[in-house]
Amino acid sequence: MKTLNEQIAEVIEKEPVALFMKGTPETIMCGNSHRALNALHAAGAPVTTVDVLPDPRIRQELSMLSGWPTIPQVFVKGELIGGADITEELLASGELKQKLDDQLGANRAQDVKAIALELA
Amino acid sequence: MEAEAVRIVLEQAFPEAVELSVEDRTGTGDHFQVTVSSPSFDGLSLLDQHRRVNDALAAPLGDGSIHELRIKTKGTT
Repeated sequence: MKTLNEQIAEVIEKEPVALFMKGTPETIMCGNSHRALNALHAAGAPVTTVDVLPDPRIRQELSMLSGWPTIPQVFVKGELIGGADITEELLASGELKQKLDDQLGANRAQDVKAIALELA
Repeated sequence: MEAEAVRIVLEQAFPEAVELSVEDRTGTGDHFQVTVSSPSFDGLSLLDQHRRVNDALAAPLGDGSIHELRIKTKGTT
């Protein structure tokens, strides 16, 4: 089984848009995770979510990798975009949609899926 | 943590800030909205601007005394 660190790195690297959040899209456990998810939806992003709540180590490993201390965290094509505030600001300025168009194409899928990490 | 204490930390981190405010969003001393406008942000991406604020507040973020931090930053140009 892959370590948590490896699993998190793989999600960041492989998923077009990764959102590390508290809860899942069906059961959002935090207002800021909700704000980030809404902003991504509004920009027409596909979203792969990872719930950090099942184990505190997920959040620790993620923050070590990203250098970002808080949840949520949004990545596009492996690049950290930021938390809820930045994602909302980039939505408002049009930069988020532009980045998604540039990176994923204007005809991108807009699927939402949730990935559960394997915990040892 | 009092909003005033957060403000003092940020003032020390950003002595050249032209705008700096801290609002306790919930009145419970752990959910803050901070706004910082500083020439030291000029030329930095939004991500790096927010990183500077997160870095300044790393201790209270790390020990949980700040539960939620909303950040608004801008440069001066």
